[in-house]
Amino acid sequence: MTKRGKISLSEEELVHALRHKEKVAAEALYDMYSASLYGVIVRIITDTPTAEDVLQETFVKIWHSFASYSTDKGRLFTWMVNIARNLAIDKIRSKDFKNQNKNQELENNVTFIDEQRNTVYKPELLGIKDLVNTLKPEQKSILELVYFKGYTHVEAADELAIPLGTVKTRLRMGLIELRKYFNES
Amino acid sequence: MEDVKAYIESGILELYVLGDLSPEERLQVQDMASKHPAVKSELGEIEKSMVLYAEENAIEPAEELRHKILNSLVTNLADDRIFSSQPEPVKDNVVQMTAPKQNNFYKYAFAACLALLLASVVVLMNVYSKLQTANTQLIAMNNQNAQYAKTVSFMNDQLGVYRDTTFKIIKLKGMAKHTSSSMLVAFSHSKKKVMIDMADLALPENDQTHQYQLWAIVDKKPVSLGVFDKSSSDTSEMKVMAAVSEPQAFAVTIEPRGGSASPHLDQLVVSNL
Repeated sequence: MTKRGKISLSEEELVHALRHKEKVAAEALYDMYSASLYGVIVRIITDTPTAEDVLQETFVKIWHSFASYSTDKGRLFTWMVNIARNLAIDKIRSKDFKNQNKNQELENNVTFIDEQRNTVYKPELLGIKDLVNTLKPEQKSILELVYFKGYTHVEAADELAIPLGTVKTRLRMGLIELRKYFNES
Repeated sequence: MEDVKAYIESGILELYVLGDLSPEERLQVQDMASKHPAVKSELGEIEKSMVLYAEENAIEPAEELRHKILNSLVTNLADDRIFSSQPEPVKDNVVQMTAPKQNNFYKYAFAACLALLLASVVVLMNVYSKLQTANTQLIAMNNQNAQYAKTVSFMNDQLGVYRDTTFKIIKLKGMAKHTSSSMLVAFSHSKKKVMIDMADLALPENDQTHQYQLWAIVDKKPVSLGVFDKSSSDTSEMKVMAAVSEPQAFAVTIEPRGGSASPHLDQLVVSNL
């Protein structure tokens, strides 16, 4: 994994460099966040070439619309992960992507559905499985839908047939559990 | 403070971090965060756990993707910044300088070619006319040469008569009224050939109605060897006469034009009798 030295900057330095569109900013941005962003995208889009396209679109969008980011709104990563998630959701709901799936053969479709349901064994998801297992099942399903599948909390409430307030509470409890987990480790 | 705690526990901050709020609600959260440090620190905690969660879930993308994505960013970087700030008068000048230069070169080259062509045509015509004169001169000289060669061979023949030991040169002397006359006759016994030397012919010119006739005396009888004229022109030949085998003497008489069957001895001019 360590084929080259990865560039890492503090968040303040990175934001400054990105504002001035320095070349080192692009490299640091990629080295620091590509894996985290790709992890989110891959859980929404299982098709690797499409997920890679979305990753590229994400970086291009971050690069060009960086002027619209301000530190008042929160952390840089929060802003970026929302861009990545929105692009991924747009892609999966776009006409092209749906048509592409319609045109797939029956066999492929079975695999695709399996992938969508996360029944396929993926070694890179091993760690998360452990982590998510520390959560209660109802917290887990909410996080899966909102974080992995890009559902809004309204859509998640519909999907799970529970009140909106409950969705919010479960999401909060789940995140508090995560916080505890990270603080422990 | 109770309001703030209830606000935090409503779960709206989590939705804010997840980007799952309307623009109005977002502004409201930002407003609350700036007013209440507790909201701000809670937001910070949620964001931090989301970052850690994402890092926990991170998947390294393919190695070659880094280069591709960075290139797409850096290419755009070049478009946005370097190109707009680059003045380009230097490039402009170069283009303007080279274009007319090239045109002039071809113009002059063409003119030079044309001039060269004209000059070479003139020179060629000159050389051609000289060649023509040289050719006519050469033909004339060749003719002259042939003529000389003919003359030389002819003279050689004449000289040959005198050199040939088989020829005897017989001098005929003037008779009676013609004492001043004389001529030479060449006779080859073995070749039975008789010639007279027209160049050494010392005879008066004959008129239109008469000719000289050469006789050979064989067994005391005269035999005609043919007629000849004495004129101012035509003096260089050795004239070949009729053949005779055993002549004892030669004589020349003046006879009517065309010759006679027997000689008029009163008209005897020269002989070696």
